[in-house]
Amino acid sequence: MTAVSVRNAVKSYGMTKVIHDISLDVNPGEFLVFVGPSGCGKSTLLRMIAGLESFESGTISIDDEVVNQKPARDRDIAMVFQEYALYPHMSVEKNMGFGLKMRGVPKHQIASRVGEAARILQIEPLLARRPRELSGGQRQRVAMGRAIVRNPKVFLFDEPLSNLDAKLRIDMRTEIKRLHQQLGATMVYVTHDQVEAMTMADRIVVLNHGRIEQIGAPRDLYRNPTSRFVAGFIGSPTINFIKCSVEQGALILPSGHRMALVGASLENGAVELGIRPEHLKERQGGVAAVVELVEPLGADTLVTFRLDSTAIMARLPGDVLPRPGETLNIGFDLADALFFNPSNGQRVGPVS
Amino acid sequence: MQDVQLRSPVIRTLNGLQTFLLIVIILAPITWMVLSSFKSRVDVTRIPPAFLFTPTLDNYRELFIRSDFLHNTLNSFIVAGGSTLLGLLLAIPAAFAISWHRFTWPATVTLFARLAPGTLFLLPWFLMFSEMRLTGTHFVLILTHAVITMPVALWTLLPYFDGFPRELVESAQMDGCRSGDLLVRIVLPVIMPGVVVATILSFVFSWNYFLFALILSGNNTKTAVVASFNFIGEGVTNWGALMAAATVIALPPLILTFIIQRRLVAGLSMGAVKG
Repeated sequence: MTAVSVRNAVKSYGMTKVIHDISLDVNPGEFLVFVGPSGCGKSTLLRMIAGLESFESGTISIDDEVVNQKPARDRDIAMVFQEYALYPHMSVEKNMGFGLKMRGVPKHQIASRVGEAARILQIEPLLARRPRELSGGQRQRVAMGRAIVRNPKVFLFDEPLSNLDAKLRIDMRTEIKRLHQQLGATMVYVTHDQVEAMTMADRIVVLNHGRIEQIGAPRDLYRNPTSRFVAGFIGSPTINFIKCSVEQGALILPSGHRMALVGASLENGAVELGIRPEHLKERQGGVAAVVELVEPLGADTLVTFRLDSTAIMARLPGDVLPRPGETLNIGFDLADALFFNPSNGQRVGPVS
Repeated sequence: MQDVQLRSPVIRTLNGLQTFLLIVIILAPITWMVLSSFKSRVDVTRIPPAFLFTPTLDNYRELFIRSDFLHNTLNSFIVAGGSTLLGLLLAIPAAFAISWHRFTWPATVTLFARLAPGTLFLLPWFLMFSEMRLTGTHFVLILTHAVITMPVALWTLLPYFDGFPRELVESAQMDGCRSGDLLVRIVLPVIMPGVVVATILSFVFSWNYFLFALILSGNNTKTAVVASFNFIGEGVTNWGALMAAATVIALPPLILTFIIQRRLVAGLSMGAVKG
């Protein structure tokens, strides 16, 4: 059984195709995150599942039932919007109970379910207030409460934290994750923030130009990205890409350094090396690189090096505090290196 | 920039003078109308005009006791009220649909209907409604005045509907609303200030409209604006009574305009979405 199933979905706005033949499944109880840069089609895909957006071909099923012809109101799903979308003329309590009222649920049941959701979200003192009397974070809680009381088959979140400030965003992130564990409900979540995706998701769907780049658990995408795009999108600070070449079983770095490619079979020619900042280490016999910028974070220090014309970032231990202009020897383990075909961005070589 | 300009005493004086001139130009005829309505037959036509005179209520007695003007005013309320209601009933769903589907040509069509001279409609209507034996009824006046009120309401409401957050509509759809519920329970309460403005503008436009009522009303359904012309006779005009009628006619729009001013400031949609 699948909670949501998308099969060969295609959608265009006029002449522009925004969703190219996408298929994916959401398992019951799963927290699935759509992530990608703006314009990648992630919100459109979510809105198609919600029934707010029509599409040309393909099918969308909820609980194994095709819902293509069903309007949003009959799909038994709840959605939390980026802009909260609370009804301004209703109190928090009325806002949360409105969906149940429209479905003819008896009043005492509405009251008890609203009370329960308010307790979970700790918004009981706000029930009598109007949305305009609430802060952004409180509004988003109410929007979530409105979804919870409905006890829908699927929860949809459309960038719900984008309008909150950084601190609140992290708190709410934790809270949504806790909520997911508590309710055990199926949730589909859209964000452009890869940290949000990594921290919250059971599985992540990386979208690019209306196509799925890769689907996998956060750790999978981090360790084994199938393309340069995914490698570059997942991970913070961003992975370093270095144009190298391969000659007779050895990797030639732009600095001229040779590294023996043990156990890796790469064809001779140009290759793009991807190495994450946390995998670069200070070591004897490494490449001598000039420090350009130092950003101490306390636990770690982010050091930007200049290697020929490329800037490379390393995440070094917090007690390493070089001065700009100094030279450090840096290196990495071959096992941590990712290789990409420079012409099409696809992963090549060993997959760990 | 504006502050800097306002600080110069010359500019400030000129500004004040300009405002004063405008107020005089706007208020002078209204003041003259009100004053004249309290003048006796002799005073009202005196040349040079008398600014000091003994006020009398004779003209109002003439209006409400010796003629049917009260009845005419009631007719005006029925026609303006009815056509406003009809106009809103048509304009609200139309504005919602036009705004939601971003489909503007129907709105433009109603605008053409409003901009066309009323005489264009009048002759065919007169013939048509005479055939149907409807001339002289309140119904025909309400129906024809909807040509005035509907476009006014539609065009007043459009920006309110356009400014209504789409996510709110979508959110309500997810909550199980059909279009009717959506309009009544979610959209209308939020854009109520717009509905109030549209109601008042429609009412005032219908109230003041002369031409359709002149031709299509009967003795029993004559509106106040048409009836006030009874005081213009051939050769003799009862200026005092005419001015009294004009004063009475001007009152409802005046009061409604004051109400509008306050309602226009309301910002009900605050807090619906971010901000």
